[in-house]
Amino acid sequence: MKFANILILSAVFIFNSVSAEPTGRIFVTNERDDTLTVINGNTLDVETTIEIGERPRGIGLSPDGSELYVAVSEENKIRVVDPVSLKILRDFEAGSDPETFAVHPNGNVYVSNEDEAKASAFNPKTGEMLVEIQVGLEPEGVAISPDGKRVIVTSESTNMLHVIKVPEHTIEHNILVGSRPRAATFTRTSDIAYATAEISGEVMKVDMNTGKVLLKAGTGHEKSKPKDVLLSKDESVIYVAGGRSNKVKVMDANTFEIIKMIPVGKRVWGLAMTKDKKKLFTTDGVSGTVSVIDTDKNDVIKTIKVGEFPWGVVVHD
Amino acid sequence: MFKNIILKITYFFMITFICLAKVSANTIEANFVYVGDEGSSALLGVKQGLKEANLQGQFLNQKYNLDVISSAKVTEHDFSGYIAILTAVDINTYKALTSTHPDMPVFNLSINDDDLRAECINNALHTIPSLRMKSDAEKQWKKKETDSDARAQAWHHDFKKFAARDLNKRFKKNHKIEMDDYAWAGWAAVKMTSDTVARTNIVNTSEMLNYLKQDLVFDGQKGSNMNFRETGQLRQLMLLIENNKIVAEAPVRGVAKPPTLDSLGTLSCEK
Repeated sequence: MKFANILILSAVFIFNSVSAEPTGRIFVTNERDDTLTVINGNTLDVETTIEIGERPRGIGLSPDGSELYVAVSEENKIRVVDPVSLKILRDFEAGSDPETFAVHPNGNVYVSNEDEAKASAFNPKTGEMLVEIQVGLEPEGVAISPDGKRVIVTSESTNMLHVIKVPEHTIEHNILVGSRPRAATFTRTSDIAYATAEISGEVMKVDMNTGKVLLKAGTGHEKSKPKDVLLSKDESVIYVAGGRSNKVKVMDANTFEIIKMIPVGKRVWGLAMTKDKKKLFTTDGVSGTVSVIDTDKNDVIKTIKVGEFPWGVVVHD
Repeated sequence: MFKNIILKITYFFMITFICLAKVSANTIEANFVYVGDEGSSALLGVKQGLKEANLQGQFLNQKYNLDVISSAKVTEHDFSGYIAILTAVDINTYKALTSTHPDMPVFNLSINDDDLRAECINNALHTIPSLRMKSDAEKQWKKKETDSDARAQAWHHDFKKFAARDLNKRFKKNHKIEMDDYAWAGWAAVKMTSDTVARTNIVNTSEMLNYLKQDLVFDGQKGSNMNFRETGQLRQLMLLIENNKIVAEAPVRGVAKPPTLDSLGTLSCEK
């Protein structure tokens, strides 16, 4: 092993052994102007904006919160940022056109490579690619079960949810769903997932053990084109980013009855929640804003101007 | 010794047979035939669609094949065993094909004639837009931008929305040229047919024709659910191009009357 590598590894080790205090910040990628907006979690004002790289989209945190990952799609990389000092620490190659990714409880990063019809897993510490998995065309959303045993990759043009077993990295189910599946999320027990399909405008509830769709429904609006989906704290409700309907749909998780439609900015795609699930943040792409929703009242409590075409959002808490 | 060999051979055939039976029991095969010029971009679109169909098919045990024949060979070719005929031929050859194979979907990837739509041939499916669809799109845009001389197209290599960007990238990577209207029409025909096979397991031609005409919900990377008119024309968004740049989409917002996709082209059949 080269001396330089040893140095890097020891630096990584030392860095990781210091558990980072969560800053409460909200980080937002702005796809069009190549920046990362940093929002103060207490005041909900923009703290600063960082030049991050070309076409930043997917965003996520390491399990211990010590590192922030940003997919800079046009550079084919994931950029690693210190969420406290906001310094760029390093990059790693993440395959062709990385768009969305999810971080496994073991720290590995699972990426969808839209151009290549592949999903790949990386060790973000070393940048080593661990595995490549052939999936359908235009893989998009990536979700990992809390127990770490399954990864869902949605392929938009092949209209499937691919359920990948971990650590085997074999495909357990290929589930044909509505047109252009975009995103998915798991329940706490890991045996149910919720997913969205953009063009068919649907949400669905899927049994992870059988690979069967248990329930599906429209999202109540022709222009809905749903994207991100998240569960409330008690998992009785799902929040769906309603795309060009410019609303967040609050739906009963068991019946898919629409409980409320919360007006937000234009073309809402990204969603993130605080750990206590009391606040929900949305990226409103065309408006260039982040809306903050109080999940007790299901009302917008603040609209924050960010960069051009905000895409992904994550909370460091 | 001899008995042993016989036994081994028997086992070999038994195992081979079991394996084959298992594959054929689970695998659905669907065959397309393309009739037309081998050098046309429509054929490249068809090949792109086929590649994508097989990529999807590998997850569902479905396999798609393509035969290519020139229009000169039409009369002698046996068209049985295909799920659909894809054509980039002259209008007379096209009409002849539709009438000699009345139970098969016969896709038109190249002819823009409006009268052909108005004939409402039951098994004719036009994924390429008609002339009238183009002129209607241009008129709508003129109402908004009086000085513009933009021309309407079905597709453009610079189209990015609705993941059109991804399709353009894939096509260019595989075929080294930009995707055009004919290539899109070829890709769309294969894609909607293979999507139907994937969803319904339909491999019978008349059932396929019915499904495509009655139940189709197709995205086509143009952002909306497309389907066929009674005329056999695929309803679709058009792009307005000026100086090789996309300046607008038609139906033009604020100009076209809803249902907006039907503001483009002929709707009714001739008496």
